[in-house]
Amino acid sequence: MNPAAEGTVYADVPFTVDPARVAAFRRVLGVAEGVPPTFVTSAEFTVFPHVIQDPNLALDFSRVLHGSQEYTYERPLREGETLSVRARIDSIRQKGDTGFLIVVMELRDGQGQLVCTARSQMVERAP
Amino acid sequence: MTISVGEELPELRRVVTAADVAAYAEAGGDRNPLHLDDAFARSVGFDGVIAHGMFTMAQMVTAVTKWAGEDAFIQRVTAQFRAPVFMGEEIRAGGTVRAVDGDTVTVDTWVAVERRRSTEWPIKKGQVVLRMPVRR
Repeated sequence: MNPAAEGTVYADVPFTVDPARVAAFRRVLGVAEGVPPTFVTSAEFTVFPHVIQDPNLALDFSRVLHGSQEYTYERPLREGETLSVRARIDSIRQKGDTGFLIVVMELRDGQGQLVCTARSQMVERAP
Repeated sequence: MTISVGEELPELRRVVTAADVAAYAEAGGDRNPLHLDDAFARSVGFDGVIAHGMFTMAQMVTAVTKWAGEDAFIQRVTAQFRAPVFMGEEIRAGGTVRAVDGDTVTVDTWVAVERRRSTEWPIKKGQVVLRMPVRR
């Protein structure tokens, strides 16, 4: 990874809380109703391709493990709504051959109100 | 709901299958071959595919939401992924109420798996903060 990519902000990506996809997510978890809080991962993975394919960041996704995850919610997600997702490289650290990447994503509604902040730590293992 | 500090949540148990993880990959969008392709997982040093950290975290949050009920609003969730989960293993998700402040409840959460006669912790120090109707 390129440490100079710290601070990169990616273009907003729209993400619709698709009821069919939410239902599939609920089925996997065995819950009956609502949008499961961790459904936000679907929004993150709509945006991650931009991060993974950023030549300036130069992340080797085949070596990546998920280190930790935090979500902070202002309100629950609503089925059918479209949110905009903005990703930012919060920090890049290297310890020996292992890289630590923190990506922060903000999900905002049509009025620009913050709905959820997702903070992911990715670990790029030594080759 | 009457809640007291130290209360333990009912454990949520689940045997993780390759079909579950494949369904999770579809719904969640993380199709990293580490979770889907045994040969790939072995090539990077694992004994076969592992569940997504987020799959494990989702079980952790579900243990809390099933306990708290549908009126609860999940405000904050954190987890560190410390150990892999392999197919066919039974994971247990649970938690203990750490604090109650008005209608805000903090639960310390974890996910455990028994492996070779010892307990591993895919998530050891997770936390869920929620707002819910609390009666004293």
